[in-house]
Amino acid sequence: MVEGKPEAVRTQGLFKRFGTQVAVAGVDLIVPKGSFAGLVGPNGAGKTTTLSMVTGLLRPDAGLIEINGHNVWRDPVKVKAHIGVLPEGLRLFERLSGRELLLYNGQLRGIARDEVERRADELLRVMDLVEAQDKLVVDYSTGMRKKIGLAAALLHNPDVLFLDEPFEGVDPVSANTLVEVLQRYTSSGSTVVFSSHVMDLVERLCDWVSVMSRGSIVAQGPLDSIRRGRTLNEAFLDLVGARHGGEEGLSWLGSSSV
Amino acid sequence: MVGLFVRLKLRLIRGNLHGDTVKQIGFAFTTLAALGCAVGGFALFALLRLAVPGVAGDLGIVAFTVFTIGWILVPLLAFGLDETLDPSRLALFPLTTRQMAAGLFAASVAGPWPLASLVALSGAVVGLASGPSGVLIGVPAVLLQFALCVVASRAVTTALSASLRSRRGRDVLAVAAVLVILLFQLPGMLASQGFSGDPRVLLDSAASVLRWAPPGMAAHAIEAGGLVGLGELVVVAAAVAVLGWLWIIALRRALVTPDSSNQSGGSVRRSRLGGLLPGGVIGAVVAKELKYARREPRGRISWFLAVVVTGVLTFSLRGPDGLTGPAFVIGPACLAATMIGIQAANSFGIDGRSLWMNAVAFSSERDVRTDFAGRQLAIAIIAVPLLLVLSVGASLVAGEPAWAVPAVLSAWGVLGVGLGVGAVTSVILPYTLPDRLNAFTGAAPGQGGEAFLGSLGAMLGTSMVALPVFVPLIFGATWASVLAVPYGLLAAWGGRRLGGMIGHNRLPEIVAAVSRPT
Repeated sequence: MVEGKPEAVRTQGLFKRFGTQVAVAGVDLIVPKGSFAGLVGPNGAGKTTTLSMVTGLLRPDAGLIEINGHNVWRDPVKVKAHIGVLPEGLRLFERLSGRELLLYNGQLRGIARDEVERRADELLRVMDLVEAQDKLVVDYSTGMRKKIGLAAALLHNPDVLFLDEPFEGVDPVSANTLVEVLQRYTSSGSTVVFSSHVMDLVERLCDWVSVMSRGSIVAQGPLDSIRRGRTLNEAFLDLVGARHGGEEGLSWLGSSSV
Repeated sequence: MVGLFVRLKLRLIRGNLHGDTVKQIGFAFTTLAALGCAVGGFALFALLRLAVPGVAGDLGIVAFTVFTIGWILVPLLAFGLDETLDPSRLALFPLTTRQMAAGLFAASVAGPWPLASLVALSGAVVGLASGPSGVLIGVPAVLLQFALCVVASRAVTTALSASLRSRRGRDVLAVAAVLVILLFQLPGMLASQGFSGDPRVLLDSAASVLRWAPPGMAAHAIEAGGLVGLGELVVVAAAVAVLGWLWIIALRRALVTPDSSNQSGGSVRRSRLGGLLPGGVIGAVVAKELKYARREPRGRISWFLAVVVTGVLTFSLRGPDGLTGPAFVIGPACLAATMIGIQAANSFGIDGRSLWMNAVAFSSERDVRTDFAGRQLAIAIIAVPLLLVLSVGASLVAGEPAWAVPAVLSAWGVLGVGLGVGAVTSVILPYTLPDRLNAFTGAAPGQGGEAFLGSLGAMLGTSMVALPVFVPLIFGATWASVLAVPYGLLAAWGGRRLGGMIGHNRLPEIVAAVSRPT
């Protein structure tokens, strides 16, 4: 329990090693129910690996993962119907049209076809994909792929939504659509966990932040307790121990050098 | 500029091999193969010396033409394997088109295969030249022919590079690659059919036409020598110059044309079939699989191959020493069923990196089993009528329409067995299918072993499990084919049960195995 709220996501000692490289070294991630949570960290911090393990796509070497109190790996039936996932890399069924992708996804989740069609039409309208709904996903732009991916993740109305870098490479218009949909979703009490390294966005959207660095969580809590008067970007750079090396060398660079 | 491009090419080859033993071994084999082709090609050309003079000349003309066509086609089919050939990568560098043409020419000449062709071609000087003037003309003729190959191939690839980068262009090419491979089988098929016609006459008439094209002229120049040869050399040189000029024009255009690879394709029709399919997960999987069979080039190719191979086999078995009796019809039908069944041996391969979408939804053994049922049903929807048509066709060729009945029954049975075995190999030995098909690998780098074991296992497994159907048939008990269909259904059911059981526990591993970068 965090501040009287039950936890939507809780991991304990999550560990994953690829060959000799430890990608995730004992992550204790906590996300309270109903929060809009940001998982931030530099490249290679282990965000994607953590999210893959939490969503049941990658088997952890050690550790415990609970979503709404159910163990992801021991009790998948109770977990998988209640989570939505948008993994990194926009991997979608390329040879289906956007609409077909949603229909496939909904039916795979056991929703009746009429209901899936109704939800798909609404999602396509909200995501501004009506015009492109009958085009193959392989021909979609990055923004369109993120939007159709999010639509597919929302289709079965999950309690917890996991998004890996949902705003990467997305134009401002599509990003705005994504943000509006997500804010509406969390305001109803559902939980969003998304990874990002755009600090401004995290600061604007999230009420809960977990900071990862080198495979473990270095700070975690409500946004204000992480910021403590600084901008999130400054707090983040302090937390991950970013070095200041930008002023040495490169004397030739810029217009003033001759 | 030339040296820079050659170094770039060599560095790319080396960088590609760096720290990857499989690739290094592959490259060693490629180099050895190129060396073998160089020596073999040289020797074959040189051996023309021993042929009757007229025939030697004709053969030389045809061989030079085939070489040129090969040079044009192979890089097209393998586009993307060689970054130095893609002009768009160089568009931002401050180079003139002429510099770039020289550099690209040098880059495409560097490498084991181009050098091997040059060595092989120079065998023609030994094989065809008559007297010293032939040799004197032969050396520049071979060099010009080589230049012709390179420039023609560059001009065509550059002109098509924009469409080759688009999704539709690549889709078309993937299917075209198979057609080209089949085209090369055509002469063999004709020959085995006892194609009426003296090969000598055929060669003569081909050569008399090809002789007037630049590659034919180059070959003829070596043979003729003297002033005629010199005249022909001038024509070939002019052809190289014209092609080079066309290439530079194409290059200039390619460099300023925007990348069309992101251009979107048209819309797809919404299928009305959906209403006929069962609802729920099975219906969704069947609908998706049927769409993939139609829209995904790799899917189309495997169906196409199954039909063509069966057709070829039916016709080539028709000879006097071929199979006799019902086996003549049952054999090809069952082979087609096996080939279709092999498609199921790596069911998740075509889904590839999108398989996570199933994995996050599937929470029980039953889900995986239902997925398999949908995939099996989708294949059956196409294969059952197809096998019927093939069996009836083969029986008509045999002149015994009644044989179609045992043939189609046993083929359906074998299909069921293949699907059942495939469900098991799919979960035990899953592997990534490469995005682009090429003739050399069927799997992502490093997964060749899995791919080989998977196909072999499916093939052997299908034959073993299908033995109870086959043994009575071999002993002439055609009535046993009645049992084939229920047996096949049982095998498919058992396969997907076992596949579901193993697959559910291995879902993350399967997703990882089919999502490798290619």
